[in-house]
Amino acid sequence: MRFLFKNFRISVLNSVPLILLYYLSISEIDTQFSNMFEILSFNLQIIIIYYWMLKDENVIGPGHIFLAGIINDVVTGFPIGLSAITYLIVSFVANYVKNVTVNFSLFTDWFTFLLAIFFSNLCFMVFIQNFTDLQFSYSDIFYNSFFTFIFFPFFWTIFNLYKNVMRLKND
Amino acid sequence: MSSSRDDFTIAVRSALLQKGTRHKFSLFFLLSLSVIIFFLDIKEFTFTSYIRSTLNDLIYRVSNVATSPARIFAEVNKDIKNVIFVYRENKDLKKELNNLRAKDFEVEFLKNQNLNLRKTLEAEKNIENENTLAKVLLDKDSPYLKSIIINRGSKSGIIKGMPVVDGNYLIGRIVEVNFLSSRVLLLNDLNSRIPVTFGSEDTQAILSGIGGKQPKLEYLPEQYIPEKNVTVFTSGKDGIFSPGIPIGKTIIEKDDIVVKLFSDPNQLSFVTVQLIQINNEDFK
Repeated sequence: MRFLFKNFRISVLNSVPLILLYYLSISEIDTQFSNMFEILSFNLQIIIIYYWMLKDENVIGPGHIFLAGIINDVVTGFPIGLSAITYLIVSFVANYVKNVTVNFSLFTDWFTFLLAIFFSNLCFMVFIQNFTDLQFSYSDIFYNSFFTFIFFPFFWTIFNLYKNVMRLKND
Repeated sequence: MSSSRDDFTIAVRSALLQKGTRHKFSLFFLLSLSVIIFFLDIKEFTFTSYIRSTLNDLIYRVSNVATSPARIFAEVNKDIKNVIFVYRENKDLKKELNNLRAKDFEVEFLKNQNLNLRKTLEAEKNIENENTLAKVLLDKDSPYLKSIIINRGSKSGIIKGMPVVDGNYLIGRIVEVNFLSSRVLLLNDLNSRIPVTFGSEDTQAILSGIGGKQPKLEYLPEQYIPEKNVTVFTSGKDGIFSPGIPIGKTIIEKDDIVVKLFSDPNQLSFVTVQLIQINNEDFK
């Protein structure tokens, strides 16, 4: 019984980033603070996906990322598949970086995260501009990407601490 | 040179095609699937519309349940603030009530006069609207799209383009209809354009969302001198909205005239959809 409970606790602990990703996608709770500061908004989903794909891909798999993207599209009103594409592009960059990098540090992760944001936004804008009638403010996209990039080290530190807790519990 | 290019190709191929030990699908497969879904969705085939509608209804309900704890917290916070400021609010409301009572007679007189003039002109028919009350299920404040989800859909007779009001004030229009839910595009969204009228000279303009909190007035007459604190109404020129729905008051900001909306788009709990008969061909 104790063994079963321990296993359950560990699996819940390992699933927290995934639960957070789904919750952010499905809920109206998001990281948009326009009421307090008009331009402040950032995309926590992208930070979660990038960090966990880079550090431990078993925590958040591509299938879950795809599903979270589809859910996010339904909730936010984008054409279905658009967020899934941008999230999977971020996963792709994280996978690529993982394949070609030997030493990981906050600064290498932070720098390469910029590439992930760039490519995901590029895809987002190409799809939106060429295939839909929706209009977007470039400045909003820029501010969102900028703050996502700026907040990365903060969440990187939190996730690193959490990862250590996960490792300790798993051992 | 050739070796580094090979390394790059191998790394890219590996990143796209490699599956983790616990994963069933590769990134390449999922990316291709997402692109296919995206194009099927934007082409709006009948079967994809049906699937999307069902998916929307399902996810909106789940999302509504998932966010209810946060909603309760926000409600409690709002109630506490209301209790704190209740005395001052009561005083202000009494003053406002007296003003409104005085204006009521004036409105009655103008209404009668307007009716008589219409009879004389025989030009316009009175528009009798049927309304349906709807609860706001979701108001996710996306940095890109300003919209809300309501719990009424095609089952309640809602179709695309119908105006949505909060009390008496216009807040947006229906842009997506599912069987049990609909999406309302708010006036401050970048994609929103509404023909409006305002001022004693019945000035015509287009109210355009700019993505921020307040929409702005565009296509104003060349000789127009900006005035602040003027009430903006729908003009009804589009043939969709009834004329005379109040929207907000004008504010002058730098070179633009923006409109401070009467109804705060972030504070909506219940809204009313005006079930106006719309010629569907205009929306296709």
